[in-house]
Amino acid sequence: MKTTALSAMIFAVLAANVHAEDIVVIVNPAAKPLSKEQIVDIYLGRSADLTPIDQTVGSSIYVQFYKKATGRDAAQMKAIWSRILFTGRGQPPKQLPDSAAVKKSVAANPNAVGYIEKSAVDATVKVALPLD
Amino acid sequence: MKITWKVGAGASLLLLVTLRSHADTTLDQYLTLSGFGTLGEVHSDYRQADFTGEYIQPHGAGYSHSWSPTPDSDLGGQADLRIVDGLTGVVQVISRDTDDGNFKPGVEWANIKYAFTSDLAVRVGRTLLPTYERSDSENIGYALPWVRIPNEIRYSNSATHSDGVDVLYRIKTGTVTQDLQIQFGRTSEDFSGAVFRGKDLVVLSDTLQYGDTSVHLAYQTMMYTYSVLPPARFRLASAGFTYDPGTWFVTGDSNVAHYDFFGDFYAWYLSVGMRFGHFTPYLIYSLEDAPDSAPPSGLTQLGDERTMGAGVRWDFAKNIDFKAQLQRVTIGTVDAPASFNNIQPGLRPGDKANVVSLTLDFVF
Repeated sequence: MKTTALSAMIFAVLAANVHAEDIVVIVNPAAKPLSKEQIVDIYLGRSADLTPIDQTVGSSIYVQFYKKATGRDAAQMKAIWSRILFTGRGQPPKQLPDSAAVKKSVAANPNAVGYIEKSAVDATVKVALPLD
Repeated sequence: MKITWKVGAGASLLLLVTLRSHADTTLDQYLTLSGFGTLGEVHSDYRQADFTGEYIQPHGAGYSHSWSPTPDSDLGGQADLRIVDGLTGVVQVISRDTDDGNFKPGVEWANIKYAFTSDLAVRVGRTLLPTYERSDSENIGYALPWVRIPNEIRYSNSATHSDGVDVLYRIKTGTVTQDLQIQFGRTSEDFSGAVFRGKDLVVLSDTLQYGDTSVHLAYQTMMYTYSVLPPARFRLASAGFTYDPGTWFVTGDSNVAHYDFFGDFYAWYLSVGMRFGHFTPYLIYSLEDAPDSAPPSGLTQLGDERTMGAGVRWDFAKNIDFKAQLQRVTIGTVDAPASFNNIQPGLRPGDKANVVSLTLDFVF
């Protein structure tokens, strides 16, 4: 009895400490290789080399992606894109609701870049950069 | 009551944007509506003048009222149109305290842009002047780390937008990106009961970007007339920078300007801030100085002022922030100090004002 309770507690602690899954940046299989700096520049609106795709603003994967790739949070990203939008220099990235939609869009468009969970990667897209 | 088409169009756009509900998906392809605004209150303990958010504002805090919402409060709406491939249009209307002392909506910009490539575009119509590093976002509180861009840095240039043509060209050399802009046009601004007009306006602007560092350089020239003055020349050169890796930032801007008749001016600011969770406290020091040489106008040390400021930005909810900013302003002149209007006879150079500003900035 006691050992079962103990194992349950250990399991619960371990489960609570498991961070969300690894995220990877994906591009179309026909796309050229990309460096981390290029990806950061695209997602911060400094470069239009590729068309960035976001997942829902404020969602867990959105927050983690921006934290790991750019060191910035959702409010900072909103301020950056507000400046770009209200100065006529561009529009914020299109938002798609989940990784399946992102994969589909990136697979269909050689100029797109997106981010999904590592476990969602399949042969329709190419991993440009893993984020840790 | 006569309503000009501008006011009607402006009010309609603002109303449309604020009442926006889910747009039809086909309409979404062609039209995007968005908006921004600031609700602000300013308190100044200095009774010999009004502290303003922009020198064209006729009232402020201090002399007229102890607390005033007019310096920083504004509301803006923008419509982005995708006409055909490569051709887009934008109209932005802002309502804020202007020379008339009311919040009459004004068209801040309205232009058509054609992108030849992703690096080269031409715009025709009304565009913002890229005079300062943050000229482009001076009305967008949510995009600024502080309550407002320092009044000192904006003092030298009366114009904020230009009606004409501009060309945008992006060049990439290795890891450095340069955004070049050249603008030709004319401008006019109502203030103090007279109209300031600029013609033959030319602006060259270069923003260099290298990773988290950006440098902005600009040169502006125009012929201006104001009130009964004969046409005179204005020239300005500015240089600014920002380093922002995300967890902290340092930024500054500076300019030197010359007005035939009014003389020479220089101004600069420097600011540093750090991010702690949702809070970004900052320090900012700004200064404007007109050197002592006596110009034909007889007004010396126009605008002289310096400000030490400290504040904090709190991103407490999605799309909205709160800022509290304290400033100690040292007034250097009786002739139109950069942040003050309604100068009273008791003002003495060297007087200090303590100013508190509280704002809510939002985007939608």
